[in-house]
Amino acid sequence: MDRRNFLKIMGSGVASATAGNLLAPGKSVANEGQTAKEFNGILVDTTRCIGCRRCEKACAEVNGLPIPDISESANENTLKTTRKTSDTQYTIINRYETEKGPIYVPKRCMHCNQPGCVAACLVKAMRKRPSAHVTWDVNCIGCRLCMVSCPFDIPKFEYNKAMPRIQKCNLCYDRYNKGELPGCVEVCPTQALMFGSRRQILEEGKRRIAANPDKYVNHIYGEYEVGGTSHLYLSAVPFPQIGFRTDLGTVPYPEYSTGFLFAVPFVFVLWPIVMLGINRATKKDGEEKHEEKHEEKGKH
Amino acid sequence: MYFSVSIAYLILIAYGLYGVYTVEATLHVKEAALAKPENKIAIAHTEIFGKLERPQVIFDHGKHEEALKTEGCNACHPADGEALKFAFPKNIKKTGKTALMKAYHDECIDCHKKKNNESKKSGPVTCANCHAKENAALKIKYPAFEFDFSVHDKHVKKLKEKLGKDDCGQCHHTYDINEEDETLALVYEKGTEESCYYCHELGKKRGPELTAITKVAAKKGLSIRKVSHQQCLNCHLKYKEEYLKKGEKEACPTECSKCHAGKYKTVAELEKIPRPDRDQKEKPFINIKDAKLKGVTFDHKYHETSSKTCRSCHHETLKACNECHSLTGKPEGNGINLANAYHQVFSEHSCTGCHNKKKEAKECAGCHYNIKPMDVETMNPKTDTCGRCHTGQKDKLSAPAISSGAVDKIKKDVEIKVLEKEFEPSKFPHQEIIRKLIKISNDSKMAAYFHGNVQTLCDGCHHQSASGAEAQKDTPPNCKNCHMTAYDRQHLNKTKLLSAYHRQCLGCHEKMELKKGRKCTECHKVKAGGPAEMTQSKNDHVVKQNKNNILNVWKPE
Repeated sequence: MDRRNFLKIMGSGVASATAGNLLAPGKSVANEGQTAKEFNGILVDTTRCIGCRRCEKACAEVNGLPIPDISESANENTLKTTRKTSDTQYTIINRYETEKGPIYVPKRCMHCNQPGCVAACLVKAMRKRPSAHVTWDVNCIGCRLCMVSCPFDIPKFEYNKAMPRIQKCNLCYDRYNKGELPGCVEVCPTQALMFGSRRQILEEGKRRIAANPDKYVNHIYGEYEVGGTSHLYLSAVPFPQIGFRTDLGTVPYPEYSTGFLFAVPFVFVLWPIVMLGINRATKKDGEEKHEEKHEEKGKH
Repeated sequence: MYFSVSIAYLILIAYGLYGVYTVEATLHVKEAALAKPENKIAIAHTEIFGKLERPQVIFDHGKHEEALKTEGCNACHPADGEALKFAFPKNIKKTGKTALMKAYHDECIDCHKKKNNESKKSGPVTCANCHAKENAALKIKYPAFEFDFSVHDKHVKKLKEKLGKDDCGQCHHTYDINEEDETLALVYEKGTEESCYYCHELGKKRGPELTAITKVAAKKGLSIRKVSHQQCLNCHLKYKEEYLKKGEKEACPTECSKCHAGKYKTVAELEKIPRPDRDQKEKPFINIKDAKLKGVTFDHKYHETSSKTCRSCHHETLKACNECHSLTGKPEGNGINLANAYHQVFSEHSCTGCHNKKKEAKECAGCHYNIKPMDVETMNPKTDTCGRCHTGQKDKLSAPAISSGAVDKIKKDVEIKVLEKEFEPSKFPHQEIIRKLIKISNDSKMAAYFHGNVQTLCDGCHHQSASGAEAQKDTPPNCKNCHMTAYDRQHLNKTKLLSAYHRQCLGCHEKMELKKGRKCTECHKVKAGGPAEMTQSKNDHVVKQNKNNILNVWKPE
């Protein structure tokens, strides 16, 4: 059941009460994303980011969230602490002091190629779109399994709301369907963020590394991590220094559970039947058994 | 059954415990480097002994010098004719661990005992007094001594004073590899003086000719360390007394710390020092037969004073480049042809390589960090670029300073209004920046020579301008003409206007290490009533899609 059908069933009244501006149902447009042929993504060049936090502001405007104060004095204060995304901040910028000076790192949903959150979702509220967007639907039951399954600690729960939902960056899915760029990419003053097909941005990232071998570390974060992500990061310093986990491996998270989940029907449904079958096949009739016992007794 | 299993477990446990208790205790002492070695030497010889059974010995050379003043150096060091060999122990017949250990112990302890018997002040004779535990992790490393041009000059003058004539043969010699009689192989011939490093720096990869000589040097164990001590110290010891009588205490130093002081002179400090004269031409005209480009007049004299050693360019011998590197390359020059010998970008010895290195200085990097070095990606360099050196004229080395006269005609301030809905227009002091660039360019001889005119300086920001093809030659293109505001999905690496401004300005300020213009507000003053103001006062969930929206601020209406 896709979102449209779901909303039809729920009725527009309920839908508008539960769904935010983010997934406003009335404005459903021609779904370009549904026919996309390849994954999209954002190339984040941390050497270009100047930490102006305009992406944070643009994100808030696009998604109807509290608008952050990005004046210079506020920035200085905010960047002192290493923050995490929250239910009202889908994207944040952190500053890391490294040997190459301060490095600003935008952090948001990585939009994995095979997302753990999508696999974990019981009601298919999290979905991976063909255009690479990992989006969230209103039929969420609030189990928060997606939060546990995310290797990047991205989905956030609205703990302080009466009708809590999961919140995270959806790579501006609505804007994408309208043919627009994600808000953060559009507003970035240094083109530290670059939106394009994953193939394109990967190529561009590799070109930059090849052209400036002493500027970048020879690694694109997200190319292979957890099976590949749509956010790709370039960095001048090794990734652990700017807050990235390098212990995640290259196996997509859903793959850890697929083997087990495949076995579940067999173990719980088929196994008893098989055992029963074996039992039936090997067990002789009650009479025969009785006779056998008799015979054995007789022998003794 | 259970019995045998439990026995097996017991055996495993016992084996594990044995393993735990017999693990070799590794010494977790942090290596400490001695900041001031004070004429001390660490004796360890780990290359022979391997892992040491007892801690290394820290030998106080200064104290021994003091104590053995009357006996002289040959109390410990063997002599080869008149010259001393600065090796210890004196009598070592066999090679190997035990022989070396025995030689050390015999010579040290015997002498200490002898002095004790004579009831003189003496050294220790028991093990732990020399092999002291607290010295186990001590690292003694003397900083290398730089025999720079000022020291060289001093030696030349003093020796001339002493000998009454120029005799470079006191130190310099050449090795004749073809001479069969070993004793005659070392010769001195005037005009062939070279650096010690060429033959005695063992272990460095050299060309075929020099490798043959370094092989001989390696066979005899004549490392740069060994020969420089032998050569310098023998001479110093010879003349020391004489100078002490004269009252010149600083002359002829023999203590470790006097030479190995770790103080190095900069190129600028050495600039006034006259360079050794070896009949080199002042301004040779390099004109290679059959070469495609015109000849180059090379100011050799200027380049002598702009580097610390001759070796920084003449990497193998003090011959001219074209003696080993030919137009098509030959084995003597490792197959590197002349064009590459002069232009290889990442070489330390080529013209282009060294010039590129100079461009990394902060004054230059502002523009040059963005300009790819010649030869790497420049397929068709401007004719002007090659013509700067390849003039084809002898003695043409004029580099007129760029005059700032015409600058007055250039636009004074540029107002950038791209973000004017949100911020006050950014003021860009166009003329002031050009003046500053002209000053930087004129201050450096190299920059002045290669920039040539103001147009080159314009290219620093107005990059990619093809001045030859431009309709109006004296007005470089605007940023907007190439960088558009829209996002080009087909060509992701195309830089947007906003990005072009920020990266050009901030990149230059960063590379030039300017304190000015690094913060947002220095260029962008917040406009009253703009979106920046709005966010500070209004902070609710509802965002009106109005013209103040950050996503709309720089879009053309």
